[in-house]
Amino acid sequence: MTNKEHKVLVANRGEIAVRIVRACRKLGLNFVCVYTAEDVESGHVLLAREAGGDKALYRVSSYHDANELLAVADIAGATAIHPGYGFFAEDYRFARRVSRRESKLVFIGPSWRVIRELGDKINTKRLARSLGVPTVPGSDKPIYDEMEAERVARNLYEFQQQQGIEHPVILVKASAGGGGMGIEEVHDIDLFRSVYRRIRNYAARQFKDEGVLIEQRIRDFNHLEVQILAERNCEGVVHFGTRNCSIQSTGLQKRVEVAPGFDSGSVAYRFDADQVLADITMHSLAMAKEVRYDSVGTWEWIVTREGKPYLMEVNTRIQVENGVSAAIARIKGQPGVDIIAEQIRTALGEPLGYTQDDISFSGVGIEYRIIAEDPDNRFTPWVGRIDAFSWKKEDWLSVYTHVPESSAGKPYVIPTEFDPNLALGIVWGENLAQARERGKLFLDNLVLKGANSAGEPLKSNVEFLRRKTEQILLF
Amino acid sequence: MLDISAVLEEIKASPYTELSVRAPHCGLLTFPGDLKPGDPLSGPVGEWKEKPGTLLATLERERNERPISCEEKGELAALNRELDGCFVEAGTEIARYRHFLSREEVLQLILKRALHLFIAPERAKYYFVPAVDIKFKVSGPKAVTVHDGDELFIMSRMKREASLRYSGPEGVIYAVYFIYNQNVDAGAPLIGVCPPDLVPQVEEAVLRVQTEWTERN
Repeated sequence: MTNKEHKVLVANRGEIAVRIVRACRKLGLNFVCVYTAEDVESGHVLLAREAGGDKALYRVSSYHDANELLAVADIAGATAIHPGYGFFAEDYRFARRVSRRESKLVFIGPSWRVIRELGDKINTKRLARSLGVPTVPGSDKPIYDEMEAERVARNLYEFQQQQGIEHPVILVKASAGGGGMGIEEVHDIDLFRSVYRRIRNYAARQFKDEGVLIEQRIRDFNHLEVQILAERNCEGVVHFGTRNCSIQSTGLQKRVEVAPGFDSGSVAYRFDADQVLADITMHSLAMAKEVRYDSVGTWEWIVTREGKPYLMEVNTRIQVENGVSAAIARIKGQPGVDIIAEQIRTALGEPLGYTQDDISFSGVGIEYRIIAEDPDNRFTPWVGRIDAFSWKKEDWLSVYTHVPESSAGKPYVIPTEFDPNLALGIVWGENLAQARERGKLFLDNLVLKGANSAGEPLKSNVEFLRRKTEQILLF
Repeated sequence: MLDISAVLEEIKASPYTELSVRAPHCGLLTFPGDLKPGDPLSGPVGEWKEKPGTLLATLERERNERPISCEEKGELAALNRELDGCFVEAGTEIARYRHFLSREEVLQLILKRALHLFIAPERAKYYFVPAVDIKFKVSGPKAVTVHDGDELFIMSRMKREASLRYSGPEGVIYAVYFIYNQNVDAGAPLIGVCPPDLVPQVEEAVLRVQTEWTERN
């Protein structure tokens, strides 16, 4: 089978499904999408119907039902499956199942062994430590016992006091969590048990696993990422630079991402920022090669104010923010890089066709996550209908969304079952100052209106994003 | 004050509901050969409802056959025979049947009108707070008394959880209307609370339904 004969099942929804469909079309591949009752009006459904007709769409009961997805794959004649992010993206059992069943499918993501190896935060930490890669101080196994958890937390607390940290803080995380879910800080060690119980109960409810991780909460840090891409045969491994994801909501969820991770040309740092970027990139590549990584992946780091990097975790999937790295990347001098298309192409067995020396970077990219939420009330999601959504088209701007533009003429009701992201706006500038100016211009021209069932106007984070634009990359 | 006689008469005038059976997920659908409209249907029976009701269809996906059985007793109104042997999508209507209300269902209908209903403020998943949840598991719902301002629920949606306090008269939780891990629409009742002054009326409703409602076979 040649690559062009493949048909990709898009096992996801919303904005990422839209981008996967577009990448498939760009590569000349057929596709089939799924949707649930809540997503009837979603842009990914409209796009799939428009580009592929009714035979490119199947209604399922849940994006979480593997049997259903595979039944759709069979009936639609799919030969590959793209999990997007969330849902099955980091489920090694699912990846193993699709690649071993009678009607085998290509899993467009890392092989199941790699997901199993790196998908587990604790395993990743162990592997990193074995390679001399610095990791955040804390437990290296999930803790299920309250007494043990408190002992680890007290040790970490005392360790911070010995280090001269004035206000030590402990982080309690659901071991099976991700995406900012199930994380809470402990400022007073005597209150540890109540926080521990809350996270344990939350983890049991949401992830069916009560295990928690106890870590030192490093203050005043930047959250950086390294974007990796590797060929299926693990021979070619390249990186697409770094991102800075430090602007987050109070729930530690990303709201603005910037590429590159630091910009020493525009911002003065206390440390050698270029060296830190080089170090984390080198460590990430070394780990990728060690585990024979074979798809796209993201190495997540925290960098302290003193410039000390610590590996947090590895996301064995495409990230929401892949587009901002693509915005500043050039392959053999050419812009228009599409990391999702690269992921699909290489997963189907094509070689990269370029080396690290062919990848260059130009300018600064900023990605804004447009979300209906109330930043003044702990970023509580806002639920209602969107009556107007549009933006001014610019050649330096890409907007990815599943919300139909106002021109579609129909209001869009935000489903409450999923992540509340509405759109991603990615701007590019020749330098940080221009990117910031363009970012503000994009937000100023954005039209986003709606109302909830009580008639109250839509709440969004647009003003928050505008305020934060001034602080981008400042450390 | 609820007029129980009037409500009972209203229910007696229309003693059944018409229910739609939809494909719970996508898959290959097959019907049993002998089923036809007008056939009587049985619901699940046994002490723990372990014996399923009349088989309406079979839905197969990934070599897993899922029998779709009747959830209540009743009479088959329509069967979408044209779907036999076809791959159907989730939510496709397979059949419709008429279900005659049981004593318990009639009682629940009346209680829903008599009890103080605490309503879901938003579409979300609801859970009892752990302390209440444990009481429920150990002693059952009627063992829990709630007071105005009690922290009673955890409301979960879109990766966020928030606590929800009960507001209303003090009383015993008499009925729970939400299902664990399933979304509840805004405005739907979460629990029915029976304040002490309502107990005689609830007892009367129970007695009247027990004596006046005849179950159909």
